[in-house]
Amino acid sequence: MSAVGFGVVLASIIAVAAMGFTIQFGLTNVLNLSFGAVMTVAAFAAYLANRHGVGGWSDLAVGGAAGAALTLVLGRGVFKAYARRGARLFEMMMVTLGLSLIINYGVQALSHNNIYQFNVLPSRLLQVGSILITRTQLVIILISIGVLVGLQVLLRGTKIGKALRAMAADPDLARACGIKTGQIVVLTWLLSGFLCGLAGVVYIINAQSVGYTTGQLFLPLVVAAAILGGAGSPMGAVLASLIMGVVTEEVSAFGSAAYSTVAGFGILVLVLLMRPSSVRGGQAGHEQLTL
Amino acid sequence: MTAWSYYIATLTVYFGVNVLSALSLNLQFGFAGVVNFGYIIFQAVGAYFAAVVVLGPSGGTFQQYIFGARLPFPVELLIATAAGAGLSLLIGLFSLRNIRRDYQAAILLILSLIATQVVQGYVPLFNGSNGVTGIPRPFFSLPPTLQDYQWAYAGWVLVLCVAVYALVSWLSRSPWGRALRAMRDQEEAATSLGLNVTALRLQVFVIGGAIAGLSGGLLVEYIGAWSPDAWGYAETFVIFTAIFVGGVGNYRGVVLGVLLVPIIFLELPRFLPQVGYPGLMDSLEWVAIGAIWMLCLYVRPQGILPEKRKLARRQDAADATPKPIVKRVEAA
Repeated sequence: MSAVGFGVVLASIIAVAAMGFTIQFGLTNVLNLSFGAVMTVAAFAAYLANRHGVGGWSDLAVGGAAGAALTLVLGRGVFKAYARRGARLFEMMMVTLGLSLIINYGVQALSHNNIYQFNVLPSRLLQVGSILITRTQLVIILISIGVLVGLQVLLRGTKIGKALRAMAADPDLARACGIKTGQIVVLTWLLSGFLCGLAGVVYIINAQSVGYTTGQLFLPLVVAAAILGGAGSPMGAVLASLIMGVVTEEVSAFGSAAYSTVAGFGILVLVLLMRPSSVRGGQAGHEQLTL
Repeated sequence: MTAWSYYIATLTVYFGVNVLSALSLNLQFGFAGVVNFGYIIFQAVGAYFAAVVVLGPSGGTFQQYIFGARLPFPVELLIATAAGAGLSLLIGLFSLRNIRRDYQAAILLILSLIATQVVQGYVPLFNGSNGVTGIPRPFFSLPPTLQDYQWAYAGWVLVLCVAVYALVSWLSRSPWGRALRAMRDQEEAATSLGLNVTALRLQVFVIGGAIAGLSGGLLVEYIGAWSPDAWGYAETFVIFTAIFVGGVGNYRGVVLGVLLVPIIFLELPRFLPQVGYPGLMDSLEWVAIGAIWMLCLYVRPQGILPEKRKLARRQDAADATPKPIVKRVEAA
């Protein structure tokens, strides 16, 4: 049973990142492989803030802000420049990959290739039914629920959300209808970047350490959850994260850690076999970049 | 002088292995448009299999692995080649179906990240993070000195390079190679002409995987050890960068790219004074690889020696997936 508890905690972390990824991917169509690298940068920003006396949970805000800022710079600066040079979906993915190399190994150089301890709060153990969970983990779960509710309200209940959904469905039509698409794209970069950074900090709060591989090793889970849940759907991303988190932790409770990564990959294979419609090539109309 | 000779012979072996890798990736990416971002795992599986079938039965206390055996010389390279091909077939069967190319690439990258964790985490497979060591070198006692042996081995690797070069350029010129290019440039048109693009992709993936396995086998018998550190996911991108620099779809350009990027560019820092803490230069090399990658994509996606076009084509040579045909069909 405690594996389920850990699974939900892991799922919460994946979910925060996957919600950011899916919003970004659903709207811009960039399969952003530098997402993990931005998570790492945000995690290090939070670590540095913590070292310089920014206490406890405000590290989350620092990480989120760092993620938002970096994502906006990459989105409006780098990706847009390449799109002007004629990069399409595939070339853009190559661009994000090059960026992820630069950022990941840049962080490796700056961090002296060390792993640093990150202890935010001394955490008490709580018992919820038969599940043992720490207070920190409980807060992590609440954060991801909060993000989900917030996103649903934003997407379903506000004009901005309506514009966002309209653009994800058909950017040209949205522009023709007078939606300020540029502003919406900026908002998307900021929002998804904030969630990316938040996820990075939440991840290191749970793992209690930060290193240059932090985000890169987490990327497969995030991408798989976003694809499984369907691009652009926060609810789908959360459900997919729950499945992946619980399966991964259950498997590692019964076998070794190696099996849990295999299980994670097994889920991705299932995604490909079960959701061909969301990943199939050659569908015109959904294939252009919106930057 | 001995040290220099040793160094140059080793570089020649690395050059040969990287040329094999680049030829394989160029066949897959340059000619067929299959983006194998997990290339290094096919090289790794070849290396591991070549190692365990010459190491003798596993039972020693200091390392454990599967399939321990003591097979004679050319057999382990054949097994390495088969291992690369077999794993490619397995992975290709589900990752090369009709899905978006950027998804395909991402899946192979993810696979590469996960494979490292699996081998590290599951020790009985290939001895985990420590890797397998003490791999015997074929005919090691035959040449009189170590130096002679190094050069003989380098020559052997280069001979195989020439053979594989001849093979892939013949394949690319063959009707099969034309089918690959048709698939790369106009997948819908190729399909409408009756080409089975999924089968074509799988074929080129398996052939590339076989070459990758062979290159791994050659490398591991030279260096005598193999561990997860040797095949991080980023190694694949060194080869890709070499292809970008040299020229996508042009085999001579690719060889030039290997000479420029993994050999000259990555070896040069050895001769510079050490900067900063140990390991800083390694990190910065990777940053530089990423920067070259970005620069190539921005400035000259077709490389120094671009692919020779036999027919007049669209201006946009870098764009491998134009879609005008789909739109026309939809409008009709």
